[in-house]
Amino acid sequence: MKNPVKVIGLLGSPHRKGNTEQLLDRFLEGASDAGGVTEKVIIRDLSYSSCKGCNACHKTGICIMNDDIPLIYDRLLEADCIAVSSPIYTMGITTELKSFIDRAHYLWVRYYKQGEHLITPEKKKNRQGFFLSTAGMDTDDVFITTTPMIKPLFNILGFSYCSDILARNMDGFGGIAGHPWALDSAYKAGSRAVIEISAGIPCMGRNSNSQQSLLDDIPE
Amino acid sequence: MISIRVLAIAGSPRRHGNSEILLDWVIGHMKEDPCVTITKVALTEADIAPCRGCNACEKLNRCVIRDGMDLMHDQIIEADCIILAAPVYCMSICSQAKGLVDRTQVFRSRKYVLKLPVVSPERKGKRLGLFISTAGQDWSYVFDPSVPVVRCFFHVIEVRDKDIRYLMVRHVDEKGAVLKHPGARDEALKIADEMISTLKERLSE
Repeated sequence: MKNPVKVIGLLGSPHRKGNTEQLLDRFLEGASDAGGVTEKVIIRDLSYSSCKGCNACHKTGICIMNDDIPLIYDRLLEADCIAVSSPIYTMGITTELKSFIDRAHYLWVRYYKQGEHLITPEKKKNRQGFFLSTAGMDTDDVFITTTPMIKPLFNILGFSYCSDILARNMDGFGGIAGHPWALDSAYKAGSRAVIEISAGIPCMGRNSNSQQSLLDDIPE
Repeated sequence: MISIRVLAIAGSPRRHGNSEILLDWVIGHMKEDPCVTITKVALTEADIAPCRGCNACEKLNRCVIRDGMDLMHDQIIEADCIILAAPVYCMSICSQAKGLVDRTQVFRSRKYVLKLPVVSPERKGKRLGLFISTAGQDWSYVFDPSVPVVRCFFHVIEVRDKDIRYLMVRHVDEKGAVLKHPGARDEALKIADEMISTLKERLSE
């Protein structure tokens, strides 16, 4: 029997059970209903410090800080699908998720500087990455800064950047439950990801419902 | 004599690195003017926790977290010029600086939800902001994702878009690399001069 598809949802919100976590939960439900094994990682509850910019990893490719972060990255590297989530605070991802991503620098060094592909390009085709976000505001550019951080993260972890699920105007809709399609879209995306991965079908490139996105030209 | 109060925030986790060197050039030059008082804060020592997203500030008009932001909150209000220096890590300002920026949510609530003033009416439209940044990458767009975040930071603390200056130097990675950058120091001094003369004009009106 084939191993079940492993799906990890990463919650970047400091706020529990809010709009972003509800959106992530729907994604994981979709994945689970399609036969995936799901797990949710709450960044806020991890024990870790922010990157200190010491650049020690530039020489070794290893982070000198021994805390939860490298363990979580090891788990993400073993997953078949990840859904990274964060609300938008002051036009960007939360401090928690930014801090988590900053700590991936040692993996960035391995990927870009040492040319070590932890996941082969062949395997990457069948590993799917999703970014889920919510924002209070209803402007076209509210998610504009997220792609430049998420895309390199997926690159170094060996995930194809399959889709964004971006729900704006939470203030206007009175929360995610009032949004016309976001929860449904998250459920379907989670379910489709598991089905595709099981069948060995790669996702059809990036599909984003954001109105504007910065820097799609970041190198792979 | 006019008094110009400058709040200089060193946002990098690395002390005395490239972004802080740029900051020190700017404030060192500003300080040569006797009207100027500088308050420099290093975020590594400021004890500011991230925003919890509880939204209590929308009702309370203050943050429920008691930490170094209490002092920083008052320093932000009192300053005529606010400088935020932060390096780019993974395509946006380092998480330490993002932590401070997110905590200015209390000003956003005050301004847009409670419709209360952030600074007294006579000081509105007079404050200046400066964003200093450095990045290891040499991509022309390496600062683009930081700018909307920083503009948001300055908007909520009552610094208008046109009153924000930018000093952003790319392709400096190792500690002290900016010292060898051909135009960075001159640019820093030029910006410092322009800001102080603009503030003098505005504050003597």
